[in-house]
Amino acid sequence: MTMEQQDPPAVLIDQASKWYGQVIGINDLSLAIDGGVTGVLGPNGAGKSTLFKLMMGRIRPSQGSVRLFGVDPWKNTSPYRRVGYVSESEKLYEWMTALDFVTTLARLHGMTREEATERSAHVLEFVGLTDVMHKELGKFSKGMRQRVKIAHALVHNPDLLILDEPLHGCDPLARTSIMSVIRELGKQGKTILISSHILEEIERITEQIVILHNGRLLAIGNLHAIRGLLDKHPHRILINCEDPRSLANLFVTEEPVFGVRFPGEGQLEIQTNDLSAAHAVLPSIVVSSNQKITSIENPDDNLDSLLGYLIKEGS
Amino acid sequence: MDRKGKSLFETVWTRMDRKAGAVIELTIRQLMHRISTWVVLGVGALLMALLLIFYIDSVRESFEPIDNDGDSEDNDGDGYPMGQERKYGTPDWDSDLFPGASVFILESDIDWNDADRSEFGNKSWEGSAFFEASWVDDQYAGEWWDSHVDWKLNQEGIPELTDCSDWELEEILDAIRADACDLGDDDGDGMTTYYVAGKWRGEGIATVPDNYYLSWGFWTEEVYVEPEPPEMYINEDGIDCFDAFILRGPGWEDSRVDCPSEARISGSHGFDDDGDCLAANEGNGDDDNGNGIRCDVQWIASNGVVTRIEADDLVDEDPDEQEYIGELGHRTFVIAVGKMAFVILLGLFIPLFLSLGLVRDETENGTLHLLLSKPIHRAEFIIYRLTGYLAISGSYVIVLSLIVGLISSILGPGDQLIRISDIPVWIGIGAATTLVLAAYGSMFNAMGLISPKYGVYLCIVFGIWEFMMGSFSILNPNWTVASVSISHWALQMIDAVVLLAWPDTIQWAEMDRAFEIDSGLSVFWQPPVHTLGTASAGIALLNSLAVLLLVSVAWIFIAKSVFSRREIM
Repeated sequence: MTMEQQDPPAVLIDQASKWYGQVIGINDLSLAIDGGVTGVLGPNGAGKSTLFKLMMGRIRPSQGSVRLFGVDPWKNTSPYRRVGYVSESEKLYEWMTALDFVTTLARLHGMTREEATERSAHVLEFVGLTDVMHKELGKFSKGMRQRVKIAHALVHNPDLLILDEPLHGCDPLARTSIMSVIRELGKQGKTILISSHILEEIERITEQIVILHNGRLLAIGNLHAIRGLLDKHPHRILINCEDPRSLANLFVTEEPVFGVRFPGEGQLEIQTNDLSAAHAVLPSIVVSSNQKITSIENPDDNLDSLLGYLIKEGS
Repeated sequence: MDRKGKSLFETVWTRMDRKAGAVIELTIRQLMHRISTWVVLGVGALLMALLLIFYIDSVRESFEPIDNDGDSEDNDGDGYPMGQERKYGTPDWDSDLFPGASVFILESDIDWNDADRSEFGNKSWEGSAFFEASWVDDQYAGEWWDSHVDWKLNQEGIPELTDCSDWELEEILDAIRADACDLGDDDGDGMTTYYVAGKWRGEGIATVPDNYYLSWGFWTEEVYVEPEPPEMYINEDGIDCFDAFILRGPGWEDSRVDCPSEARISGSHGFDDDGDCLAANEGNGDDDNGNGIRCDVQWIASNGVVTRIEADDLVDEDPDEQEYIGELGHRTFVIAVGKMAFVILLGLFIPLFLSLGLVRDETENGTLHLLLSKPIHRAEFIIYRLTGYLAISGSYVIVLSLIVGLISSILGPGDQLIRISDIPVWIGIGAATTLVLAAYGSMFNAMGLISPKYGVYLCIVFGIWEFMMGSFSILNPNWTVASVSISHWALQMIDAVVLLAWPDTIQWAEMDRAFEIDSGLSVFWQPPVHTLGTASAGIALLNSLAVLLLVSVAWIFIAKSVFSRREIM
């Protein structure tokens, strides 16, 4: 996120608000993004889609301004020459083949038919759909459809890529595949905005995040730094094992652990103020306990608890 | 090369072309993938096929020669058609009287107060007389109906009548009516005298009593007259056009020209070819148009164009169907199909099914995001979508109009294989319908955008209005209210094209009305109205064209204004 460049930043949002009648979509949001992969996090209804729609000129800000490469997207479509957008909408032209679909949309960038076909085949290969590019989209799985959408957004080699919940509803295999595509794009130096309501998804792609809550910008910056704040917050680790009590004895002597609980049969809950330290000692204790551990969960290591913490900190 | 060193192909305009091509192609393909498109286009084609079948059927019937005045019939069954009997002066209600039949020639008579009261000879007699007969014809039935004397001849050929030889004269005169009585050979010359009152034939001396009447004459020899074929009396009184200056004088036949006349002159035309008007009593419908000329047709022209035709009764009343009704029926078919089937039906239904959701459906389907994330302005998008819709619907109606036109111009009247003059009319019909499709298309698309939920109802209400105004416009194009409709202008365009392609249509319509041919041409076609006082079909055509284009652009602008302000969720 740098604003010192001569060229206007890819995304510049200045005190933008958007209300739908009485409902607030975005509230006094200011943001500048240029370069790198940025995750836009927030629970459902936080304003992620509203933010993206504002950027894509679908809706007009009630207040403030939105600029893509220095241009107001509501009034002018020229920034879209440099923008690729994957909407959350599932709908595609089901009767088209993947190649046909991407080619048709590529031609809307002013490419010739030949140029568009060549570029489309190339991006479909990039997203790993070469084998099925002559198949009708109606026969595609959810993950394949998402990849087709990414392909159409990439076909004109955009400088800015906006991905609205690209992993939503995908199976783990598809997620991995899409994530690797996005990481690869990030490496290529594109500005990428990706929204999600699942922290782990974003974590696997980028460390640079924007957190939205109730239409407000809650946090912006490096995920590690935010996580560090989170680590200072009381955390729980839930362990399912054969003998919770003997395992608890081993934990209470460790420094990061300040309390234990037995919430259910065969369950041990460890309470800590330093999650990283607790995780550091966890493997050796498990080994020394010499008993079978079926699972280890971090019930607080999710967006909700992060938000809960940030909201509490902010207030 | 531009400032950035890009070739001309890479300029904005070229890119726009490519975008336009892509959206138009996408629209065409989308529409082709919808069943409703095929249903509506299929129904249109079916409608045209049905109309063509109807046309083929009616063409067969209407080109069949029709005896418009009924004089080819033989009502009395004597083997002679009414027209031939009229020519020979025999009635068509008496089978005994026919051309060549024996007729009675009156020679003379003895009146009530003539001094000479006797006549000798072999004659046909009628009246009252003492008849000293050397011969009588007991088979005599020469004149019509009644009063023939029955001589009651015996086997020797001697009449056996009532003996009235000793009757008083007064008694005889009172008692004998349509009969005869025997007075015997009162003078002894061997010839019997009879008193006869009625009709008879015989040779002798007829002496008429005072104050009685007798006439006599003879019947001509019957001659055989070849009965004329009834077909001779079909199409025998066609619509005539003459040079106005050589009317009815010698050589008038040479001054005939085709109707409607190239010269299009006003004045007295028309001739009673079969003489039935002239045969009527003077003053009895022989000068209905009141121009002082018996049995003619008055053509009234304005600016060299015949605008009214007034015919006397029974003049030009049996025209050639092939020549007139065929032509009139054909033109009526072309114009009626162009107006009703193409402009009003296809013009309304195709946009209702194809254009209403052109942009609206993309929003509802959620696929609009894909298109609007590309560098394409919303107004551009509307225009390209409409162009795609027009590419399908316009080429459909143009191809359909050319197919229907080609078939009907092959089947239509005329000696040539194809009626070349029809082709511009069909092209005009195709073009007018395409413009209607553009105007309704842009309007319905705008309504779909204005109210995605209730737009269809708005369109239906508007469609009903257009249908009604179109129908009124056909019947009375001068009705001002109708001009507040799109269909009115498209119909005006067809009227103008018809007049340009067939400049004599005004005459044909007048002939249709004046000679009561009832082909419907004068109902379905009237001269274009919006000529800005020039009476020029070209001006009317340009006017209609401008209005239809303007309406289309206005609705595109409305749709653009609505769509550009719309937030897409």
